[in-house]
Amino acid sequence: MTVHPGADTWLLPDSLSVEGLLAALAAEFGLESAPEYGATVVYADSFDWRLYQQGCLLHSHGSCWTLYHGDSGEVTVQQGGPELQASCRARDFPPGGLRELLEPVLGIRCLLPLATVHLSGRQVRLLNKDDKTVARIVVESQQPAGSERPHRLVRLFGVRGYGRDQENVRRILAEAGVAEVASPLIGFTEGCRAMGRSPLDYSPKFALELDGGETAREAMARIYLTLLDTINRNIPGVLADYDPEFLHDLRVAVRRTRSGLSLVKQVLPGPVSDRFSRVFSRLGAFTGPTRDLDVYLLAQESCLGRLPPSLRPGLQEFFAGMARRRQIEQKKLVRALRAKKTRAALNAWQQTLKRRDRQPAPLAGMPVRDLAGRIVLKRFKRVARDGHALDAATPDAEVHRLRIQCKKLRYAMEFFGSLYPRHELQTLVRHLKQLQDILGNFNDLSVQQEMLRLTLKTLPAGSRRTLDQAAALGGLLQSLFQEQQELRAHFTEAFAQFGDEETTALFHELFGKRQESA
Amino acid sequence: MSVIAVYNIKGGVGKTATSVNLAYFSAQHHGKTLLLDMDPQGSASFYFRIRPPKKFGAKKLLKGGRHIEENIKGTDYPGLDMLPADFSYRNIDLALDECRKSHKRLSKVLAPLQEEYDRIILDCPPNLTLLSENIFYAADCILAPVIPTTLSLLSLEQLFAFLDEIGQDPDKVVLFFSMVEKRKKMHAEMMRSLRERNRVLQTVIPYSADIERMGVYRQPVAAALPASAAAAAYESLWHEIRDLLAI
Repeated sequence: MTVHPGADTWLLPDSLSVEGLLAALAAEFGLESAPEYGATVVYADSFDWRLYQQGCLLHSHGSCWTLYHGDSGEVTVQQGGPELQASCRARDFPPGGLRELLEPVLGIRCLLPLATVHLSGRQVRLLNKDDKTVARIVVESQQPAGSERPHRLVRLFGVRGYGRDQENVRRILAEAGVAEVASPLIGFTEGCRAMGRSPLDYSPKFALELDGGETAREAMARIYLTLLDTINRNIPGVLADYDPEFLHDLRVAVRRTRSGLSLVKQVLPGPVSDRFSRVFSRLGAFTGPTRDLDVYLLAQESCLGRLPPSLRPGLQEFFAGMARRRQIEQKKLVRALRAKKTRAALNAWQQTLKRRDRQPAPLAGMPVRDLAGRIVLKRFKRVARDGHALDAATPDAEVHRLRIQCKKLRYAMEFFGSLYPRHELQTLVRHLKQLQDILGNFNDLSVQQEMLRLTLKTLPAGSRRTLDQAAALGGLLQSLFQEQQELRAHFTEAFAQFGDEETTALFHELFGKRQESA
Repeated sequence: MSVIAVYNIKGGVGKTATSVNLAYFSAQHHGKTLLLDMDPQGSASFYFRIRPPKKFGAKKLLKGGRHIEENIKGTDYPGLDMLPADFSYRNIDLALDECRKSHKRLSKVLAPLQEEYDRIILDCPPNLTLLSENIFYAADCILAPVIPTTLSLLSLEQLFAFLDEIGQDPDKVVLFFSMVEKRKKMHAEMMRSLRERNRVLQTVIPYSADIERMGVYRQPVAAALPASAAAAAYESLWHEIRDLLAI
């Protein structure tokens, strides 16, 4: 964040007391001091810093919440809300301005406490000879929990049209020894640091700068370690079950790792590859059921919207049952994730990646740049081949296979993306993403129908309640099927955009050239 | 974005007190507000303790752009800025006369300010001139304080006749009663008969020593005496206007 031009912030030197500062200002201005304030606040944001990314800070003081602009310190909205314990969600807030602002930004992510800071200080208005306010000074002490010393800050807020007076204030401050510029968010960032966090230290996006001269073994180790870090950092959130995104991000990192192991052969020794393919396959498997149920539960609202009101109670019953099942699956997941076996396997993976291989694999020493192009191009050719065969009549299973091919291509492009010109790569990713979106939607509809069919089969016969449920599921099946059919009609055009000559040429140009130079 | 002109042909009806207090509440309710003091006497500027800027006057006002931006001053209240008046505004009609499309000039000058401010409030001088025509053209709402007396009624008729003459929508005019004295029977009678008109607000601003004393403490009444009846009346007036204009 940049500091707002209207608000300058400095550290108050140890040698200068607040009274001393005010006395210096009183020589040229009238002073009107507001009452002193003091409160211990807890800053909160989502694990992936969604509010911070928007330039916002949110803190709670008991059940009083304040959302403000990080740069200017201007309060956007202040409102009552839940007491922040371990976590809370946007929907825990009462209807009103704050909730309306939080919901679209946070989505399904919850708020977690980040930093606890004691804030105290006062605002002083500086007046000219007409007793008109010409500037405001805020002296504030920010003390993060657990830290010995508070950060003492002076902030100057100008008033429009009184630039000359502000220059005078600056001069007086400088003469009093106020010189060291500081961030007005220092208490927040230091408080985060005390909790082992720093702003924007987590993003679900895979971003790793490779160095073209690295060997394939070095590069892959860094890629896998980055993914392992994502896995490890999401585990606490999965165990605590704060929100579904922790599990989702963890599973994506697992899937990326598995793709890496299957795409990039002969860089890690064969036995290592085999062993950890099994480890991550198992991780993928035991995290699957909870995630599947999460996906269905997240679709609850939209599913209800597909049905006429008379059928909805049956579906609500169905989702209630699903939520109960999720509780059971989550418990199993926690047990499996906590198991020594899992911990040991992840540790072993880290050790293996950091250690030298006793018997290096054949391609371990190859420059990663040469390997990367070969892998991406191979995946592209596979997608192109299957994609050209895609039309409205392609069976579901083959559509699914193409979707997986696309994912592998996408992961390969993400792994090695930093080796290629950014702009061109983004163009290709954009085309690929459009294709993936349509295939992904299609697959979701497929999986959901399959699950509904399975549920229908196992519904016990007889009661009124099961009849209501069956009717609702039938209605939903119909709606999902219809949408899926409509998507099929778009297959050809979706692939045409991705598989056209221009895109194909760009793929070959970007990833083929390196191969020749090898 | 909306432009509210506080206007009456008659003087001494509480225009400036209304502008100052409405601007204060407008800014308080999360809307960046600009108060334009159009009255050469500069009473609104005085209430906010803002001196007339040097090298600024009627001609610069009508030039607009940076000539205005450089002279806007922040008040003591967050979100509320004002453009102070200059004594040269007394000759503004002469300056206007020299402009092309002279009745639309003010509207043109305000246009860029509407990007920065959510609301612009004009404190207008009491007369019926080319400037008034400009104000009526620029304003979304002409808010007229009315003291419930016969003379006020007369000036209202003049206002509507003028609007008709220049082809402005009479529905732009919103009336409310100002400086009302409960014990005066005539006030009550006049109010009863005037209420039969369209667009007369419910809120009544009482005659109040607290409002008269604004010149002494030089603040909006709601800032100086937040618990006073006068402050409550202005706040209720603001809410009514906000609802009426849907801003």
